[in-house]
Amino acid sequence: MDARLRRVNKEIADCKNDKTSNIRIELIDESPFHLKGSFPGPQGTPYEGGNFEVDIVIPESYPFQPVKMKFITKVYHPNVSSASGAICLDILKDAWSPVLTLKSTLISLQSLLCSPEPNDPQDAEVAKHYTTSKSSFEETAVYWTQIYAGGPGAKKSKESASASVARDEVAMAGLDHAHVRRFVGLGFEQGKVIDVLRRLNYRGKNIHNIPDDKVVEELLKP
Amino acid sequence: MSSEDYELSDEDYYDEDDMMDTQDDDGASAISEDMDTMDDFKISTKPVRKSYEIDSESLSQVAVEDLMNKDVEHICGIFGVPVDTASLLLRHMLWNKELLIEKYMDQPTAMLCAAGVAAPEPSSPEPSRSHSAASGSTTRRSTRSASKLLGLGKSKASSPISPVSSTASKLIPPKSGGPESFVCPICFDDTPDVPTLALVCDHQYCVNCWNAYISSKLRDEAEHAIRCMAEGCALVAPDEFVRSALKTAAVVDPTLNEDTDKLLSRFQELLVRQFVGANRKLKYCPYPGCTNTVSCPSAATKSSLNMVVPTVSCGARGIGTSMTSSQVLERESLGLQAKEHTFCFGCPIESDHRPVVCNVAKMWLKKCHDDSETANWIKTNTKECSQCQSTIEKNGGCNHMTCKKCKYEFCWVCMGPWSEHGTAWYSCNRFDEKAGVDARDAQSKSRASLERYLHYYNRWANHEQSAKLSLDLYSKTEKKMEEMQITSSLTWIEVQFMKKAVEEVDKCRRTLKWTYAMAYYLAKGNEKELFEDNQSNLEQAVEELSELLESPIEADIIPTLRQKVTDKTVYVQKRNDIVLEDTANGFLDGRWKWNTPVDGFDDPENMEN
Repeated sequence: MDARLRRVNKEIADCKNDKTSNIRIELIDESPFHLKGSFPGPQGTPYEGGNFEVDIVIPESYPFQPVKMKFITKVYHPNVSSASGAICLDILKDAWSPVLTLKSTLISLQSLLCSPEPNDPQDAEVAKHYTTSKSSFEETAVYWTQIYAGGPGAKKSKESASASVARDEVAMAGLDHAHVRRFVGLGFEQGKVIDVLRRLNYRGKNIHNIPDDKVVEELLKP
Repeated sequence: MSSEDYELSDEDYYDEDDMMDTQDDDGASAISEDMDTMDDFKISTKPVRKSYEIDSESLSQVAVEDLMNKDVEHICGIFGVPVDTASLLLRHMLWNKELLIEKYMDQPTAMLCAAGVAAPEPSSPEPSRSHSAASGSTTRRSTRSASKLLGLGKSKASSPISPVSSTASKLIPPKSGGPESFVCPICFDDTPDVPTLALVCDHQYCVNCWNAYISSKLRDEAEHAIRCMAEGCALVAPDEFVRSALKTAAVVDPTLNEDTDKLLSRFQELLVRQFVGANRKLKYCPYPGCTNTVSCPSAATKSSLNMVVPTVSCGARGIGTSMTSSQVLERESLGLQAKEHTFCFGCPIESDHRPVVCNVAKMWLKKCHDDSETANWIKTNTKECSQCQSTIEKNGGCNHMTCKKCKYEFCWVCMGPWSEHGTAWYSCNRFDEKAGVDARDAQSKSRASLERYLHYYNRWANHEQSAKLSLDLYSKTEKKMEEMQITSSLTWIEVQFMKKAVEEVDKCRRTLKWTYAMAYYLAKGNEKELFEDNQSNLEQAVEELSELLESPIEADIIPTLRQKVTDKTVYVQKRNDIVLEDTANGFLDGRWKWNTPVDGFDDPENMEN
C-alpha cells in the first residue's frame, strides 16, 4: 500500500481513538487527502468556547513536505489572516518535520491561539490592534469567537443580530462606537468610517496620534 | 581572441583534409595560397589580452570539487576532525575559512551544534525515552564533539568509536528481529527486517522514509543540508550518510537504482553550487544542463563591474536539453558548431553586452521592458473625450471633434464643448490662455523625449532583429559558398571567407546593438561625440559588408568579390576592436559621464556643482 495513504489512514484512526485531546479529523469528500480538522478554543483565551475548523490538504510528498492548513472558521488573531484564514506558523513551513502528525499540527494551532506572535504577523491590521490595545483586541477576538466559532453568548447575540447589524460591524472591526458615530455624524457613510478607522488603527492610545484631519482626509479619498 | 580563432581553424582545415600528408605539386601551391588567405584575417598575432577582454578560467565540476576538497582538508588538518565534519562546518559558514577558524577556536562545541554536526547537550530527550540502553552513550558521544559521524542500526549503537574515525559511515541494517519489533514512526511500516538508519541522535527511521525524505529535499527544495527528520532535532546528515542512505534504499528496492544515481549527482551538484555561490570569484555557468564553473577574480567585486564588462565563457558548447533536436540538426547541417556558453560574469541579463557595463545595460533593458514608453506615447498623441473618457488620437482634420463613441462634440485645442465656440469656427478663443500654452509645452517636451528614446530603441531593436536572422544568413551564405565552388575554381577552404564574414557581421551587430543602449545614457559632450563617431564608422562598415554578402554571385566577379569581402572583414574586425577597446579604456579611465544617475557612478547632478 502507498506509504502516504497508510500513514494518513493511521493518523485518522489514531485521532478517532484518542478521546482526550478533543481534536477531530473528518473527511470532506471521498479523498483521504483533503480533510477537515477541528479543535476547541483553548481555555483562558478569547477563543475559549469556540470550535475552530481547519481545512487540511495533504500534499503528494507528505509527510516529507508539510501539510497545507488554513482556518475555515474566521479567527481574529495576529497570525491568522482575517480574510482568508491563512496561517503563519513555522512548522507549516521550514520547521516542518516528517514526524509531526495531523494531530500534533492541530495541537500546535491550538497553542498558537494561546500565544500570538504579533512580531511575525500574518494580518498586519490585527497585529497592530493587538500591540496597541490588548484589552480591546481581546474584546474583538471574543466577539469573533461568538459570531463565527459558536462561542458562549452566541445564542444571545444571534437573537439580536438582525436587529443591530451596524453595531456588529463596529465591534467586528474592534472599534469604539462613540468614535464611529462621531465621524458618521460628519456625514460619512458608516461602512467607510469603519474601514478607514480600522486601517488607521484608531484604537486605544493610538487615537491621540491620529488627528481628526487625517481621518477626514482619508475619508475624502475616493 | 579572434585572431587566435583563425589560427586554430587553420589547423583544423589541415587536419581534416590531411593536406600536409598528401603533398603533390598542386597541393603545395594550394596550401601556400591558403596560408595567404588566412593570413589576411590576422590583424596581429600578439597574444596580448585586449582591454575589453577579461582573464577568466573555466573549471569543470570535478575541478571545483577539488577546490572544495582542498578547503575541507585544510580545515581537517587544523581542527583534527573527520572530513564530513569539516565539510558541514564549512558549509555552515558559507566557506568562509577565516571566520570559521576564528569561531571554532573560540567555541568549538557551539560551532559544531550550529553546523548540525553534534546535538546540543540538553536536547535529544527522545532516545533516552525509547532506547534507554543506548541513550547514555549516545549523549555522551555527541557532546564530545565531532567524534561520531552517524549512528547505525541499533545493533551497532554501543560499539565504541574513536574520536577521529570517519569509518562510521557504513550502514548496517539491523539484525533481523530486534528485541522489540521496529515500527517506523513516519510510515508506520512494521514489516520485520526493514533496515533503519539514524544519525548520532539515534532517531531511527526506516530506510525508505530516509530515501523519500532526502529525495524530496534534494529535488523539491534544492536543499543540500539534510536535517534529521525528528522534530526540533538540528543534526545535519553528513555527506557520507546521505549517499549511503540513498544507496541502501536502492539495495532494498532495486527499482530505485536509476533514480538513486540521479539523486547522487544532484546532491553533488547542489554542494558544488553552494560552494560556487559562496565564492565571489566563481560563477556557475547559467546554460541549462551545464555543470561548468568560471573563475574570474578580476570581476569579483561590485565596484569592478563599473570598470569592466566581464564576458566569460565556460568552454562548453551547445545547450543540453533545452534545444530541440531539430534546432541542433539545423545548426549541424549548416556546419556550425553549437554556440559557445558565453555569459556575463557580473549580471544575469544577456550573454554578451559589451561594450556597456552591467548597470547601464540593466537600466536600458528595464526601460525597454517597461511599458512606460507606451504610456508616454499615449500621453503625447492622444487626449481623452471629456465626456466619456475614451482615448482619442487626432490623425488629421479640423479641431471640431466628434467623439466616435458618445457623439460628444468638442474643441481639440481647449477640450471645451464645441457649442460654446458659437460662430467662431476653427479659431478657439481660449487658445492662448496660459493653461493651454503650458499643456502644449509639456506635450512637446514629452514628445521630444519619446522621439529621442525611439531613435535609440529602433536602432537597438534593428540590430537585435538582424542578430536573430543570422541563422538564415548562415544558411543563405552556405548555399552561396556551394554555388561558388561550382561556378568557379575555388575550393571549399577558399570560400570560407564568406562564413568568416558572416560571423564577423553577427559579432559586430551585437556590439552595435549595445552601443545604442550606451549612447542613450551618455551625457552630451566631446566624449559622446567621439563614441558616436566610432559607432557610426563601425555601423557603416558592417552595413557595407552585409551588402556585399547579399550581392548576387556571378562567376566573373568572384575573385574581386572575394578580395573585397576579405578586406572588408578585416576592416570591420578592426573597427569593432576599436569600439570595444576605446569603450573599455574609457571605463577604466572613468571617462564616461551619464545623463542620468547610474548605480556605482557619480551622480551627474552632483558633478556639476
